[in-house]
Amino acid sequence: MDIIKGKVIVLGDDVDTDQILPGYAMAEPYDQLGKFAMAGLAGVDFKTVYEPGCILVAGRNFGCGSSREQAPIALQQAQIALVIAKGFARIFRRNAINIGLPVWAADVVDSLKTGDQIEVDLEQGTVTVNGETKRFQPMAENVIKTLSYGGLIPRVRAELGITE
Amino acid sequence: MNLVEKYLAKAAGKDAVSPGMDLSCRVSYVAAHDVTAPIAIKMFRQIGVKKVFDPDRVALIVDHIYPASSEKARDNVWIMDDFAKEFGVHLYQRGEGVIHQLMYEKHRAQPGELVVIADSHTGTCGGYGAVGVGVGSTELAAAMATGKLDLEVPEVVQIYLTGKRPGNVFGKDVILYLGSRFGTDHLVDRALLFTGPGIEELSVAERMTICNMGIELGSMITLFGTTEREPDTAEDLELDLGALEPQIACPFSPANVVPVSRVAGTAITQVVVGSCTNGRLNDMEQVARAFEGKHVHPDVNTLVVPASKEILEEMEKRGWCKIIRDAGATVLNPGCGSCFGAHEGLASARDVVVSTTNRNFPGRMGSMKANIYLASPATAAASALTGRITVPEA
Repeated sequence: MDIIKGKVIVLGDDVDTDQILPGYAMAEPYDQLGKFAMAGLAGVDFKTVYEPGCILVAGRNFGCGSSREQAPIALQQAQIALVIAKGFARIFRRNAINIGLPVWAADVVDSLKTGDQIEVDLEQGTVTVNGETKRFQPMAENVIKTLSYGGLIPRVRAELGITE
Repeated sequence: MNLVEKYLAKAAGKDAVSPGMDLSCRVSYVAAHDVTAPIAIKMFRQIGVKKVFDPDRVALIVDHIYPASSEKARDNVWIMDDFAKEFGVHLYQRGEGVIHQLMYEKHRAQPGELVVIADSHTGTCGGYGAVGVGVGSTELAAAMATGKLDLEVPEVVQIYLTGKRPGNVFGKDVILYLGSRFGTDHLVDRALLFTGPGIEELSVAERMTICNMGIELGSMITLFGTTEREPDTAEDLELDLGALEPQIACPFSPANVVPVSRVAGTAITQVVVGSCTNGRLNDMEQVARAFEGKHVHPDVNTLVVPASKEILEEMEKRGWCKIIRDAGATVLNPGCGSCFGAHEGLASARDVVVSTTNRNFPGRMGSMKANIYLASPATAAASALTGRITVPEA
């Protein structure tokens, strides 16, 4: 996978799926979800810190709550390049990987601030900020494989040899 | 092996499994609702297979936004209708009820069978002994196509229940209390297993309430076993039901839990009793009993939402709908709307809500500033009558 570079937005613990994509946006058409990304975020006005290609950096249990796949889809459509958190809720983590949005468990939230520019190498497990590189557990190989196909469906199709 | 491992081993066709092992498990039932099904259908069509693994074991249920609150919501129903006709799967689109209750009423899995639903509260079926794993739309599409689910064997945290519960303590209070013990993420990628003589104190409906909210503690699977203690668990906690008092989750986390007595007296403006957590007949009975011959507090908007049409019909037969209406409350059609801020009971910044639902995240029921408390139907009903958070009578 390519090295991911971007501006950091620091978030707290337990950022739930209602904050990532509020209930009122759930019936929106698939391709319109990006407009509602992080629309329910508590404590931060997301629009004021957001830029395309940015990297969300959070604490514990990011994505807790609903199974709505609309949540990671909204982040992907808003061009969030990567989410790094101390930990992820299980269903959100799997949903994100299944649609091809990179999410990576690493404890960096306390050493970064909103606005920092970072470089992340998921295969090596490194985060570089201001020329200083820190190492973490690299992303699992199986996850990198799914992401490299662009998600679970393209991977399954390729593995089943379906072309039509 | 513990019970979770035995069940997963059977579903995977293996003699023995252990935590961390990757399995491909046979699925007994697959289901999705109007928020998750449209994307699952889109993904299913992208896979490119010509049929679902077994149409009789696939159910689509319109519960989250029923009746439609917008044209977009209605369009999602049509996507499900088209798919159901094309692939011959079950479709419930006339307000029959909330997905986890309907799966119990219409497509009940046997103990140990694997149920995969595109909804986070799929653990609910652990109350009747089935293994429920909640997934997103893409994984559901894959399960619909293959009849299989890939998962890793979780470590098991066992709760060994003992003692007799006080008359004002219910399944809801048990799981809320565990939220205060474990927090929101201790059980991520793990399973929560209830055993011990205390489980006989809890009806299947109350066990379903407990399993419903396992996800709020992060759990992958929540399951009731037997009165015997299970071996090979990662953690073991003994819990005396007799020592519990009614519990309440304060804003803005289901794990921000204190005894109701600690916040008693807080003025409230809305009460919601219902949802896949607490919309069953036993829950409605708590409300009817509390409201009989009384009137809810004039400051409180009181909404009662049975989890299925079958429950609603039984309430009517028993005269409970009349009792509830005469008390000044509103009986709504079965559905999920008021729980997650879709429609039918949104809260504004001025509202303080006591709800029997499962989440009180910021903005869950509408305004980010609305304060939501989560409690049992008994606590909610007692609070509706006084207009203040109230400990129900034992």
